[in-house]
This record gives sequence, structure tokens and C-alpha cells, in this order.
Amino acid sequence: MKTGKTNGLKRIVEIAGIPAAAFLIMVLLCGIQGVKLFEMEGNWILFFRAAASVMLTTFALSLNLNSGRFDFSIGSVALLSSVISASICTAAGLPTIVMLMISIIAGALLGAISGAVYVIVKLPPIIVSLGVALFYEGFAFSITKGYGVSFVANAELTSFPSVANYLLIIVCGLLLFIFLFDYTQFGYDYKALLSGQKVAVNTGIKEIPNAVGCYTIAGALMGVVGFISATNTGTIQMALNFGSIGTMFTAFLPMFIGGFIGRFCNEKIGYLLGAVTTAFISLMYARLNVDASVQQIVTALILVGFLIYLNNENKIIELVQLKKLMGKTGAEKGK
Amino acid sequence: MKKFWALLLTAAMTVSMLTGCGGSSQPAQADTAGNEAGSDSTGQTDTGDNAAQDIAADLDMSKTVKIGILVSDATTAEALAFRTYYTEYIQKQYNVEMIYSDELTDAAGETSAIDTFITNNCKAIISFSSFDRAAQIEQCEGAGVYYAVATGTLTDEEYETYKGYEHYVGAIGPSLDVEFETGYNMAKHYLDQGTTNFAIFGGAIPYYTEMHIYRAAGMITAMVEAGGDGASYQGAAVKDAIIGQIFADGEVKTGAIGNVNILGYVGGYDMDDAWFGKCAQMAQTTDLEVILAVGNGSDFFGTAIAGTDVKIASVDAYASSYGEAMEAGMLDYLAGKFSASIGPIFIATYRAALGAPIRTADGNALALSQGYWIAENVEDFGAYYAVDSSVESPAYTKDLLDTLLTADYATFENFVGKYSFAEIQNM
Repeated sequence: MKTGKTNGLKRIVEIAGIPAAAFLIMVLLCGIQGVKLFEMEGNWILFFRAAASVMLTTFALSLNLNSGRFDFSIGSVALLSSVISASICTAAGLPTIVMLMISIIAGALLGAISGAVYVIVKLPPIIVSLGVALFYEGFAFSITKGYGVSFVANAELTSFPSVANYLLIIVCGLLLFIFLFDYTQFGYDYKALLSGQKVAVNTGIKEIPNAVGCYTIAGALMGVVGFISATNTGTIQMALNFGSIGTMFTAFLPMFIGGFIGRFCNEKIGYLLGAVTTAFISLMYARLNVDASVQQIVTALILVGFLIYLNNENKIIELVQLKKLMGKTGAEKGK
Repeated sequence: MKKFWALLLTAAMTVSMLTGCGGSSQPAQADTAGNEAGSDSTGQTDTGDNAAQDIAADLDMSKTVKIGILVSDATTAEALAFRTYYTEYIQKQYNVEMIYSDELTDAAGETSAIDTFITNNCKAIISFSSFDRAAQIEQCEGAGVYYAVATGTLTDEEYETYKGYEHYVGAIGPSLDVEFETGYNMAKHYLDQGTTNFAIFGGAIPYYTEMHIYRAAGMITAMVEAGGDGASYQGAAVKDAIIGQIFADGEVKTGAIGNVNILGYVGGYDMDDAWFGKCAQMAQTTDLEVILAVGNGSDFFGTAIAGTDVKIASVDAYASSYGEAMEAGMLDYLAGKFSASIGPIFIATYRAALGAPIRTADGNALALSQGYWIAENVEDFGAYYAVDSSVESPAYTKDLLDTLLTADYATFENFVGKYSFAEIQNM
């Protein structure tokens, strides 16, 4: 009984340890500067927006990356889908919920096109996704004549940012993602292809529809990310020459953290906790007005440090165990 | 069949790579039959204007002149307005072909783009990119290609070095003194109304962009003057000291300047979650009255101040979105560059390429300053925007610019110096 409790506690520490530690460190850093991490409503909104946006981006990135498909186009999908939805809604005076729906549909369609290009052209996904990213960036630039979309004065469309709305997106996104990949045939096929494509194909699983499906889902997720970003400021700035690729990099740290936490629970929950961890860091940057160059260095150090740990995990554990053993032996000898 | 689709899609993606950058079409030649780049056909646009025909008799404008345009920004309202003026108006009125560079991100890109222009037989280059002006001038001088700076100026030291170069046409744009004055006037506008609590958006100050530093220094200088006896900014109380302080810090420090307060500051254009968080946080600072932006303010702070009494003042260009922001009460003051302000530097460059360069009385390159159009209300904005956005009758029309084709330096300088909306309308 006692062992069960200990195991349960250990599991909780393993799952929530990283975000909890991140929270405590950020509170401490802010405290040293005499600043509260969460002081006003805007801080909560920023935290939940970052968590929602990064979680969905991490889902979208990991979906294809876990299958060996590096997708540089996800940022451009977010950009173009939000341009399409915002242009339609500002022109027709449509409400926010319609903008969200159009963003999802446009994102899914753009993702499906991206996937179709990949399976038809049969070039390495890294090359295809770069081409698609340029195409979507150029297309967004063309349809807005380079000016982007501005709806700062549109009170309806800019009313979306709130803790409740972002929380709703997080919960719905997580549940839907878990359902799709853990409880449907599509998800089973995806996992089978992930663990051994040749064997899976030989058993009758069709890898091409599955790959296009993954791109479509990733596109829909990025549609929501584009929507979140657009409704935050009421403007969509254009990006050219791979300017949209940066979006993808926001998901690397939470993806690695999520992968680690995923050993102890559902991997998707791990991604959420990874996103929560980075949201704490983002909030700390904002609260302490940390310079961008410092932010980049800190984020890079965290990422590299985490990767070093993951790659040398066994050695580190062995080292700790060896020290413990030596300590015990020393103590026994002392007796 | 699969190969066909693969080829088709690859072709589509290749075409998309060229979208939004690279060379422009040649609409000017659309209405002059048989007129191709470098051909000997007349290439004259039919303006029906006798004066233009007289000028044409003096200057041989029969050959299409290729002009390379260096840009480090292809997406802001200001950059797009300039591009529209050149491609949709100037190129249709004069026998020129404007070839645009990609969106440049560093000095190496500038060098490479100039090489490409030279290979493409460009006779002149107009630069909107300022990563390494000195290298650009040297490269063009070495290649015998005319070079001009649009909407900017060289530093005094740079001008002294390059003013005698044969192929350096010169620079026309807001000088650093004008930038300082723009920031000063913006802050003073509110200080005169009794405003004491400000926040500053520093734009590219963290990247040490001089024009943004000078604008911020102007704002702070006005605050020091209004702050009462002994007021200073970080111990600096005069223009040069304040500029030096911002350069040293790479940012604007918050705090009291006598009776005036800088309650918040955000710089950079990081556009990530943390940065937007900083923007929202600054906009929602208690007791804040006005956000003074050295660049575009309403796009980044507009939604954050919605429903409050906080006002935003910006420096940018005349774009429709700013009109909407002004109507909604978000944007209160705009110091905007007008798109046709790059007309005179085009004429100076064109003249040089045609063999009739314009120089100062001492035979040096141009160094002329222009300022901004200031909109303090929706009505001002509407009037300015109507003219600025017109591709049929912009602020500087062909008739006005033609007067510069044979003008002497004094006339040219006088023309450029009258840049206010009212002065141009009365020309």
C-alpha cells in the first residue's frame, strides 16, 4: 500500500516536475526583481495564450516530425489561413466564431495541399515544405497586396483574447487530439506506421492517405494558431523569404519536454505541459522586460541543456547510482 | 502522369518564389509600342504636355533606363507606398524600368543585389537599404553605376567622404535633425495639453537604428524642457547628451523627468509571445496617458488600449489601416512620410543616368532634407491619404517633377524644401 502511494507520488513528480520547477524558478526570478509573475489579468491572458498557441504548434510539428517529415510550412499555413479568414470576416462583417471556423477549414485545406504535394512530388519533405512555405507566404503577400490585414478597430474580432477562450481552446484541442490519435482507426494506423512503416504497409495500412491526413490535421491546428495570433493584435503582418518559419521553432523545446514527460503519461499531455513550461518562461520574459538577445540565449541554453541531458541520461543516472553505492560502501567500512 | 504533376507543382512553387520580390513588370512600355529595354525607340510617354516635349529635346530620354532599387523592407505600409509610387506612377510616366531587390537582411545581401543589378545593365541604383551605405557607394563608384539614397541621409562624416564621388548622386530624406524634431514635436504636442504620463515604443532602438534613436531623443528632450527646473533624463539634459545616453543604453529607461514620467518602454520587433506580452503590459500601465511610438504604434498597441483613454502617436506612412485606427480613436497623431517624397531623388538619379547630373554649387552630391506630413485628426488624415494613395494624381505629379529635369541646384533645393502638404498643393 505504501509502495503504491510512493509510486503515485513519484509519478506525479515525474509528470509535473518540469512545469512546477519552471513555475517556481520564474516566480523566484521575478521575486528577486520585486515583480509578481501573475499580477494583472493581462498576465493570465498572456500565459494562457502562449500555452494554447505553443501546444497546438507542438501538436502540429510533432505529428509529422515523429514520422520523419520535417515540415517547415506550418508557420506559413498559420499565416495564410488567418489572412483568408480575417479578409473574409472583415469584408463581410462576420463574427469571431466564423473567423475561427474559416481559419480551421482553410488551415486544413492548406495542410492537405501541402501533404498532397509531398506524396505526389516524392521529394524529401524538408524540400517540399520549404517550397510550400514560400508559396503560401507569396500567396498571402499577393492577396493582401503586401499590406497584410488590419482589423484593429474591429471590436468584434479583437474581442477573442480572454483566459476562458484560451482555456477552451486548450481543452478542446487536447481532447480532440487524444481522441483522434488514441481512439480512432486513423490513430492506430498512424502509430503502426510510426513503429514500422514496412510492416504496417504489408499488413494493409495505407501510408499515403495517412500522411495526407496528418498534414491536414496539422494544417487545421495551425489554422487555430493563426487565428489566435491575428485576434491578439488585430493585425496580420506579412512574412516573405521564409519569415514564417520562426513559428515552428517555438515548438521544439516543448516538444522535447513533452517527449520526456510522455514516458510517464500520455505524450499529448506531455506536450501540453511542455507548452505550459514555455508559457511560464515567456511570461517571465515579459514581466521582467528581458531583452530579446538575452531571451534567445536563455532559451537556447535551456534547449541545449535539455538535449544534453536526454542524450546522456543513462550515464548521469549511473553516475548518481555509483555515488550512492560508494557512499553506502564508505559508510559500511566506517562501521 | 505522375511526372507531369511533379513538374507542374515544381513549376508552381518556383513561380511562387518570385512572388513579392524581384523584378517588376514594365507597364511604362505598355503604351509605347515597340519600346524595349535598351532599344533605340522613342519611349516617350504621351503626356500631351509641350513643356515635357521641350525637356525631351534637351535630354535624350529615348532609351529605357534600368534602375535597381535596393529594399530592406517589403512589407510595411511605408515601403509598400513607396513601391506603388515608383511602379504604378513613375514607371508609367517615364521611360524607366524599376528592378526591385529581394527583401535584404544584411550588407552581404546588398553587395550581391548590386552585383545582380550591374549584371542586368542597370545604369543607376536607388537605395532604401542601409546596412552598409559606405560599401554600397564604393561598389557603385567602382562599377560606374549611379547611386542615390532615398528617404534617408548619410552621416556628416560619410557625406564628407563621398560627396565628391562622380557616381554618388546624393541623398534626399529626413535628416537626423528632422527625425529629432519629429519626435520633439510629437511629445510637445501632448506636453502642451498638460499630459505628463507617457510610454515610449522604441521600435528599432535595440538595433541602434539612428532615426529611431533621434526620434526618441526628440521626445525625451521635449519632456526635459517641460519637466521643470533641474529635470533631466538619466542625468542628461541637452540634445546631444540624451542621444548619447540612448546610444549607450540601447534602450529608453523608464522613470521621472522632473514632472513628466516615462511609465513604460518596449523596443524591438520580436513579435513573439513575450514581446506581445510586454506591449500589452505597457499599454495597460496605470495612469498612462499617451504612447509615443517612434514607428508604427497602433498596430501593436491598438487592441490593448481599446476602451481606455490612452492615446497613441506614431511615425509611419499614410495607410488605410491608420485611418481606421484614427476613426476608432486609437491613433491620435501621425507623422507620416508621403509616398511621393521619393520623386525628387528619382529625378536626380534619372538625370544622372541621362548624362545631366545635378550637383551643388560646389559640385558635390545632393544632401537635402525632407520632413513629414502631420495628421492630428481624422480630417487631416483623410485629406493627406486621398492624395498620397492616388496613382493618378499623387503629391508630386509628372508635371511637377518635369520642372526638376532641367532645374538648377537652387531650384531643386527649393522644391525639395517645400514638402508640407499645403506647400505641395500650392505648387
